[in-house]
Amino acid sequence: METNLSSSWQKVLDGIKTWARVNSPWVIHFNSGSCNGCDIEILATLTPRYDMERFGVKLQGSPRHSDILICTGPVTRQARERLIRVYEQMPEPKFVVVVGSCGLSGGVFHGSYNVVGAVDEVIPVNAYVPGCPPRPEAIIYGVVALLDSLKK
Amino acid sequence: MEAHESKKFVVPIGPQHPALKEPGHFEFSVDGETVTDASLRLGFVHRGIEKATEGRTWVQNLYLLERICGICSDVHGTAYSIGVEKLAGVTVPPRAQAIRTIVAELERIHSHMLWLGVAAHEGGFDTLFMFSWRDRETVMDLLESISGNRVNYSVNLLGGVKFDIDEKQAGEIRRGLDYLEERTRHYMKVVTTDETFLGRTRGVGLMSKQQAELLGAVGPTARASGVERDVRVESPYLSYGEFPVNIMLETAGDLQARFVVRINELFETYRLIREILDHMPSGELTTRMPRRIPEGETISRAEAPRGELFYFIKSNGSDKPERIKVRTPSLCNWGSVISMAVGHKLADMPMLLVGIDPCFSCNDR
Amino acid sequence: MDSDCTLQTAETLLQPWAEGYDHPEPNRLDVQVTAANLKSAVQELVKAHWGYLSAITGLDHPAPGEAEGEDQAGSSSSLPVEGTLEALYHFCCSSVWTTLRVNVPYSRPVIPSICDIIPSATLYERELMELFGVELPGTPSLQRLVLPDDWPDGVYPLRKSFTGFESPTPP
Repeated sequence: METNLSSSWQKVLDGIKTWARVNSPWVIHFNSGSCNGCDIEILATLTPRYDMERFGVKLQGSPRHSDILICTGPVTRQARERLIRVYEQMPEPKFVVVVGSCGLSGGVFHGSYNVVGAVDEVIPVNAYVPGCPPRPEAIIYGVVALLDSLKK
Repeated sequence: MEAHESKKFVVPIGPQHPALKEPGHFEFSVDGETVTDASLRLGFVHRGIEKATEGRTWVQNLYLLERICGICSDVHGTAYSIGVEKLAGVTVPPRAQAIRTIVAELERIHSHMLWLGVAAHEGGFDTLFMFSWRDRETVMDLLESISGNRVNYSVNLLGGVKFDIDEKQAGEIRRGLDYLEERTRHYMKVVTTDETFLGRTRGVGLMSKQQAELLGAVGPTARASGVERDVRVESPYLSYGEFPVNIMLETAGDLQARFVVRINELFETYRLIREILDHMPSGELTTRMPRRIPEGETISRAEAPRGELFYFIKSNGSDKPERIKVRTPSLCNWGSVISMAVGHKLADMPMLLVGIDPCFSCNDR
Repeated sequence: MDSDCTLQTAETLLQPWAEGYDHPEPNRLDVQVTAANLKSAVQELVKAHWGYLSAITGLDHPAPGEAEGEDQAGSSSSLPVEGTLEALYHFCCSSVWTTLRVNVPYSRPVIPSICDIIPSATLYERELMELFGVELPGTPSLQRLVLPDDWPDGVYPLRKSFTGFESPTPP
């Protein structure tokens, strides 16, 4: 939909949109074949010691409401279509954070008959958090670094 | 004379859903609110691990098998190491056995507290989820001080352990356990007296002793129905021979009994760790292992937090295994859930599923 | 417990159908049975309440030297031995194990299902079917357990002859 606003109004609107996205991104988590190590560290970021919610990050269940997809695990053949479908259901602009070494390259499972490969062979990825599993602080750092890059 | 057939409605849930953190596809046939049939599709986390072990050496497989599951990673490494050491005819020194036992029990604590939080979260009780995970951080710190990582601690070596527990760490462990014991008493009170919680758990998911035996349930799920199955007691491994464990049984067989059994197991674990720390044998941490394991087949079992873990290891004399078969406890318990689900409301399904402590990544390997 | 958890008891119970015994470890008994006698052997153990079915393992024994199969003219060596698939039914009673071992040839890999005696065996049997290609007539569910639905038929990953696909992504 083309808007006929003048460029300075457009800039203001864009600024507000970015401010809303950066200050309170809604996150969805998808496990595409992980051993759960990374998933429990992601859940641990919600708990009182690490508390990602003070950054405005909210973990919720529907892809249609989310800005960021956090993906873990090497992509197995069954999970591949579901991953693509979840990614397509997210509204633009969307960002993907991959958590864990398995998502980066297949991890220890690389070469197995049921593993397709790294997450970025299936969907485009914006941020990578390596580790097996990465500490909750590292996951928060990854998400915050992504948000910082959006501000620019 | 037959009335007209009531239309059945199938509710598909998953694989991406906010309830469980792992992918699994369920289909519940419902009649109104009541579930009439349940079926389950696993396999989303199948990484072909059993085949992958045949192409890696014995030592490489240790690291691969630990990553079958992040929650019970140490017990997989333990069962594998025990099996390979049996084939090689090697005896691990007693201090290493004791350290392995302590780490395995610490893992049991972390797994049960994780389960308590997730089960409460499924029941809508988010406060308990936050509290139990905050307290779980204590045991994660202890594991990190021993091994350097919070998850996938990788304490086992073929032939012993990598890390030692010195006096200072032992003191920290004791202090951590004291704190956890006090908090666990509080959780026991909540689980047994909180009215809303009881309303969601008492009488739900009943499984009698005969059904549990017939369906092949293992672990706390079976012990909550009065079936006395615990590998640590039946065939003691590691240090469980010198430091025996008491079986915690409940007879009610419902969801509440499963909560009570696991919390009782936590108390038993605290007692056991303190006893081992008080009587730590001294000595070496490792012993030499051959690179090629002699030909043979062996069965090794361990008591994972979820139940009996079964390993069948076959060697053909080379430095790579011929076949490793892993049968994880969650696979045994699925049959019981499917038959328990019938007759309950759809809203009870998440708590029912979580009551057996399912671990999809363990099932699918 | 209705029955003593000893290997002696198991040996006596299974005597009518055993083709051979082996004690690979002090607490283990391996009993060879034919596919035709499997159900009777399982029934006997279940009736006596000797333990519970803990797992079903599959093993692949490919024929030795199958690759260089061409007979030289005039060679009088025996025909190549056919490969077999083996299914091991592990029964655990307290701390001892009885394993029923059934060998079936590649050309006819049929083992009767034991699900009418032990209903929970269906999950283990599904896995045996899809990963090894054993046929189990009478098993209640033919659905795949861990392999994806679009996995090609006739490809059994845990057989030794399977070494992976050339391209891991599905076509």
